[in-house]
Amino acid sequence: MASLGGSSSSSTEYIVRVPKNTSKKYSIMAFNSGDKVNCSSWTQARMERDMSNRRMYGVEETEEGAAGSEFGKKQREEARRKKFGIVTREFKVEDQPWILKVNGKAGKRFKGTKKGGITENASYYIFTQCPDGAFEAFPVNGWYNFVPQAKHRTLTAEEAEEEWGRRNKVVNHFSIMLQRRLREQERGPDDDDEEGEKGGKKKKKKGGRGGDLRIHDLEDDLELSSDESDSSGGEDGDSKPKKKEGDVKGKGKKKKKKRGSDSEANEDSDDGDFEGLEVDYMSDESSSEEEVGEEKAKSNKEAVPKGIDEASESEEESEEEKQNEEEGKEEEEEEEGKKTPVQTKKKRDSSGESDTSEDSDIDGEAASALFMVKRTPPKRGGGRGSGGSSRTGSRPGTPSIDSTSTSNTLRAAASKLEQGKRQVVGGSSESPAAKRLKMESSSTAVTTQSPAPSGKSTPQPPSGKSTPSSSDVQLTEEAVRRYLIRKPMTTKDLLKKFQTKRTGLSSEQTVNVLAQILKRLNPERKNVNDKMHFYLTE
Amino acid sequence: MSEKGEVDLTGAKQNTGVWLVKVPKYLSQQWAKASGRGEVGKLRIGKNQGKAEVEFTLNEDLTMIDSLGNKPSGVQAPRDHPFTMQTVGGQTLAVFTETQSERISLEGLVVQRAECRPAVSENYMKLKRLQIEELSKPVRLSQQLEKAVTTNYKPVANHSYNLEYDRKKKEEGKRARVDKQQVLDMLFSAFEKHQYYNIKDLVDITKQPVSYLKEILRDIGIYNVKGTHKNTWELKPEYRHYQGGEEEEKETDD
Repeated sequence: MASLGGSSSSSTEYIVRVPKNTSKKYSIMAFNSGDKVNCSSWTQARMERDMSNRRMYGVEETEEGAAGSEFGKKQREEARRKKFGIVTREFKVEDQPWILKVNGKAGKRFKGTKKGGITENASYYIFTQCPDGAFEAFPVNGWYNFVPQAKHRTLTAEEAEEEWGRRNKVVNHFSIMLQRRLREQERGPDDDDEEGEKGGKKKKKKGGRGGDLRIHDLEDDLELSSDESDSSGGEDGDSKPKKKEGDVKGKGKKKKKKRGSDSEANEDSDDGDFEGLEVDYMSDESSSEEEVGEEKAKSNKEAVPKGIDEASESEEESEEEKQNEEEGKEEEEEEEGKKTPVQTKKKRDSSGESDTSEDSDIDGEAASALFMVKRTPPKRGGGRGSGGSSRTGSRPGTPSIDSTSTSNTLRAAASKLEQGKRQVVGGSSESPAAKRLKMESSSTAVTTQSPAPSGKSTPQPPSGKSTPSSSDVQLTEEAVRRYLIRKPMTTKDLLKKFQTKRTGLSSEQTVNVLAQILKRLNPERKNVNDKMHFYLTE
Repeated sequence: MSEKGEVDLTGAKQNTGVWLVKVPKYLSQQWAKASGRGEVGKLRIGKNQGKAEVEFTLNEDLTMIDSLGNKPSGVQAPRDHPFTMQTVGGQTLAVFTETQSERISLEGLVVQRAECRPAVSENYMKLKRLQIEELSKPVRLSQQLEKAVTTNYKPVANHSYNLEYDRKKKEEGKRARVDKQQVLDMLFSAFEKHQYYNIKDLVDITKQPVSYLKEILRDIGIYNVKGTHKNTWELKPEYRHYQGGEEEEKETDD
């Protein structure tokens, strides 16, 4: 420790020792400075090797000894692996990562992975100063990068991919984790989500809202959703009963959500699909149902939400699934068989799509025989044909919420009014106001079993419509007969022949009239390329 | 007394500061040759116009470089090594130690990082050249042999194998049939250990001729073409008690 004086420098010399006894192995524990780790603040720490990788290399036997085992199985397996050149790397304990737990169970957790190659080209030494002033240098044996482990729930890679695809549509991001938790609840009912996360607080309110909110074009829907989030934000004071309700609701809704997610999966839509799309509303089954169901649930007891949920559910979904035959029958009767079973089925198949739900409301009513494909959003599958899509066209932008909510309430009562509603439907097919009524009644009328009288489907008196206005092409029975004799045609083809511009009729009228004519003609049917063709033989 | 896994935090609490120094390979090799208490050199820390200057000087006796093969080369390791000081920012580095008894203790935090660089000198250049030469030597070398190798010739039948074969034949020959009861005992004890056996393995275990063994097996066991490939023998259901792997002695009916 001789100090050498210098002009403007002063230096001290220290002896450097490299101790020979190597009982202690030195390693570096590296933390990212962004994690703000202060080692001196740790009260206690535990560190162990992470052995979770061991099973990959070790024994993966099904049975050992006695039952189910073969003689010499181990050797045979090893020989096989060698034959195929499968080299299993040895499990070295020193290379395994560390698990560091600071401050007990509630504290932070870190995982330290070994950094390779630090001793290859240069050696690191730790210089510590001894009490006697000399420096001691110890070689560094290993370098471990410690990263903090997240305690909050995270999405798996697959889930993250899904959510990424929906990023533009999802407004409420809390619901993502919420939905995941509800899904887990279904799997493990013992799991109680009492974790103090934000999601938990939202749960009671958002339990109904678990599904993703879709971005609506209409203000109503936006207001509704924002209201929800506001109120939920305000209600931060959780109450257990509410939460339980959320649980029960969650379970009930979970089914819906699952189906919702299934239906979403069926869709092949990407973000860009909705650009330039003229939509009335884009309510998902889940969202509208949940909103509706939630409102109901809040005001009612738990048993009832289930019922209403199911009701709203069934209204939108089960219409397609459960009442397939009924609707099919209805439609066929009402449309005098114009609505081909194939087409109907196709519509049902695409029922997973959200729009179908609204359309199927109208399907049920089957006000008119045929509906043209007026405006077909790309979302609809190709199999829609002339079916439900046209109904959208004929409907103005009535908010789905209103319709479905009112439908819910009307549903029970309206089953008695089916016939009366039908009449209303028939008479009011033109006016928008009546259209709403039509939707309501249609949803209620879905459950009707009785076949509609064939005359119902055509609201206008046939006579009035069959008189053509002055134009080139006239929509007469004669014309239709001619076409059908010549060659088999689908309803779509027929409609093309009688374009509105040329006949002077509106699309609605054309459809109605054509339906009547076809009814009168009663042509023969033939299935060509999965499409129902009509033809006449004279 | 710290238990396994418990980290001794004294170093962290005391905020012991250490330096992390990156040292060239040759230098660490020289240090490994240190004798006695392990003195390897001197560290001079000076302040020159506000800047800290650190330099390490290697001890004289450690400057002899051994090239490959442990013959002393004419090269000497450079003695002077200034340290380049670096900051620790961006990472919080702690030092922990592990003893053989797997006790972990936190020694301290790194307060200063440094790189030990050799002062460029003639010696250093020579050393580097030596290193490069050693590294550039190919790992595999082709050597020309003066004489052709004549020691390996292919025998018609492997001589040692031949011997072994003859010996085996003599020893076993036809396997003697022992009592059926004995064979059954052997089989049952074998099936106690494993459920499925290959006929070859059973022959090996019981040392019985195959046909005789098969007869007995047909009595007490079934030959199944299991889903998993290989046709194996197993005991008939009435003979086995495979619950939890424990079995009782089974009665044989004669």
